[in-house]
Amino acid sequence: MKNKIGIIIGREFNERVRKKSFIITTLLTPLLMLGLMAAPMLFAEYSSSEGKKIAVVDESNAIAQYLQSSDEIIFEQTELPIELARQAHSEDFAILHIGKEIMTNPADVRLYTNSAASITLEMNIESQLKMVIESMKLQQQEIENLPAILASVQTDVKLQSFSNQGSSEESNAKANSSIVATVIAYVLSFILYMFILLYGVMVMQSVIEEKNSRVLEVMVSSVRPMEMMMGKILGVASVALLQISIWLLLIFGVGYFVLPELIPNEIAMAVSMMQQGASPEALGAEANMSLIQALATLTDVGYLLKITASLIMFMVGGFLLYAALFAAVGSAVDTPQDAQQLQTPITIPIILSLFVMLSVINDPTSEIAFWFSMIPLTSPIVMMARIPYDIPAWEILLSLGLLIGTFIIIAWAAGKIYRVGILIHGSKPSFKELWKWMRYK
Amino acid sequence: MDLLKIENVTKSFANHVALDDVSLSIPEGSIYGLLGPNGAGKTTLLRIINRIIAPDSGRVLFGGKEIAAEDVCHIGYMPEERGLYKKMKVGEQAIFFARLKGMSRKEATEKLKAWFQKFGIEDWWNKDIGELSKGMAQKVQFITTVLHEPKLLIFDEPFSGFDPINANLLKEEILALRDKGATIIFSTHNMSSVEEVCDHITLIDKAKNILSGNVNEIRHKHGSNIFEISYRGEEEALVKAMTEVCEVMESKPAPKGYNTMKVHIASDAEVRRVIAAANDSVEIRSFSEVIPSMNDIFIRAVNGNL
Repeated sequence: MKNKIGIIIGREFNERVRKKSFIITTLLTPLLMLGLMAAPMLFAEYSSSEGKKIAVVDESNAIAQYLQSSDEIIFEQTELPIELARQAHSEDFAILHIGKEIMTNPADVRLYTNSAASITLEMNIESQLKMVIESMKLQQQEIENLPAILASVQTDVKLQSFSNQGSSEESNAKANSSIVATVIAYVLSFILYMFILLYGVMVMQSVIEEKNSRVLEVMVSSVRPMEMMMGKILGVASVALLQISIWLLLIFGVGYFVLPELIPNEIAMAVSMMQQGASPEALGAEANMSLIQALATLTDVGYLLKITASLIMFMVGGFLLYAALFAAVGSAVDTPQDAQQLQTPITIPIILSLFVMLSVINDPTSEIAFWFSMIPLTSPIVMMARIPYDIPAWEILLSLGLLIGTFIIIAWAAGKIYRVGILIHGSKPSFKELWKWMRYK
Repeated sequence: MDLLKIENVTKSFANHVALDDVSLSIPEGSIYGLLGPNGAGKTTLLRIINRIIAPDSGRVLFGGKEIAAEDVCHIGYMPEERGLYKKMKVGEQAIFFARLKGMSRKEATEKLKAWFQKFGIEDWWNKDIGELSKGMAQKVQFITTVLHEPKLLIFDEPFSGFDPINANLLKEEILALRDKGATIIFSTHNMSSVEEVCDHITLIDKAKNILSGNVNEIRHKHGSNIFEISYRGEEEALVKAMTEVCEVMESKPAPKGYNTMKVHIASDAEVRRVIAAANDSVEIRSFSEVIPSMNDIFIRAVNGNL
């Protein structure tokens, strides 16, 4: 009997994987993602090729010389009075007019732009003016050795976070970067959401299609309905697994070969020292700690393995659970339109878990995070948002166990509906009728 | 010996009873007709035989033993609603169904090639089913049904959707399979197809088995005292006269030539009275006894007049 499920899984897998659309989406989606990530950088590259010239009319005669030009903004002081300057510099990006009273009245400054100004440009000018004015005001206090004092006061705090699990020895404490965890949590739970919804609906549609083409009536004489349903679900699951594996391989492959090229040597050294448990002091205070931590996390093989394994287990578990529900709905109706009403209660928990996930990312150990990552219908997506933050292993295992247990119960119930549904045509059953079908002998 | 035996099977669904205490036995090597109007419960019975649904009570014996999961490998079932995967190659699809019936890929391929050659459809192997016409797809469906050489073949309305040439081809193939030892069940409401091929029939109506047995025996048993009258005159007058003395089975007015009417007379003693009554109302051209078609028996049985 297992053999028959195997034959059905084989058919589902082969038919789907051989489709052009599968090959295209599998290969193009990563390219599309790369493109989406690269696009803003490219735009930034091209749009800022020329610095913006800003003419400065400084009636206070105290500030203009301290404004620092950069690649994006070039300050040019002009001696013209403001009215003339506004005409003379109409080709420049903007005219900055600093009033006489700027030291006492911070609002005595105006920017006349010849085209639309961006927020970043305005913030840049504001912060430069603020710094110049503040330091001038400090100087007015006539403190001795002011530059030296300022230099010794200036501090750049670099927080490092470590997981408190496992050995308490400093050398074994694992660095973990919460920025990286947040990004991974967000991306993974979103991927899971997409997979469950897209592939779940795919199962439903293909059941409806087979029911309509009456293939199911032919098959049902050689295969038990439960086996038909499980074969279909597992077949589609294997397609989803293949797709995600290809993507993971691409990501790791690109990461393995490309990342080392991009990272400067001294940072790479620091990263590997950190992974071996070097104390932050040894790396030198100059080092950019958050970048090094992020890289250390991203190149930590154990961490990546744990995340990948959890992703696959929760993806399979979550998909199986939802696919069984979608299959039952598909078997009960004749057209995708009829399915709308019945599938709503299935899609609500999926969408709910996406919202919960957004709050869980901010606080992965909250009560809400814990309970929603245990309740089987929301657990796959919510748990995936928590795993990157090093939560206790027993929580992951408990959640997975509950998920599998629920799947078995749901699959049994879905099989009962499926068995009746595939033979009934022309009616749009209510929930009450589905309940009745479940109890047929 | 009976290959299949249905014993007191009852099945009811939420709103109605589909089978009510139905029993029948199907001799090995016979062609068995399962007859009945639409909605009588035929498809439900076939589904029970195929173990698609379970009876509420009663049992099904296959080869003398209660039917089990392994036995479906020895059954070939072509449901009334034919279905194949539209976007799958003909050959691969046929192999898929054969493997579900327990054949190996190699065995299935060899036998399929032979069947495709027999039907002259070798060049369909790599076509999608969607590219074939309905009749062509039905041929493929037939092949997938019989490929694993089952002991029991079940055809639900086998000739619907076939043109006369292909229907005949199909009939020949089915008879050939019977000659090779297969037992065949036909389920249909189309009587004329049954008369030619079936050895035994069961008539199911309103969930009950109302008539079972050998076709010839049934025809002779229930075929006595049916007469055909051809006449000239008013149809209404004859119908009125006949309903008083016997049972009118069928009345066919003919615009050209003579009208005809079929009547069933309760006993031999009545015959003369009927003729006299007919003679009084119309001009009789002929009065002769006929052996009824299964169709006549079917209608009389369903109307409760047997």
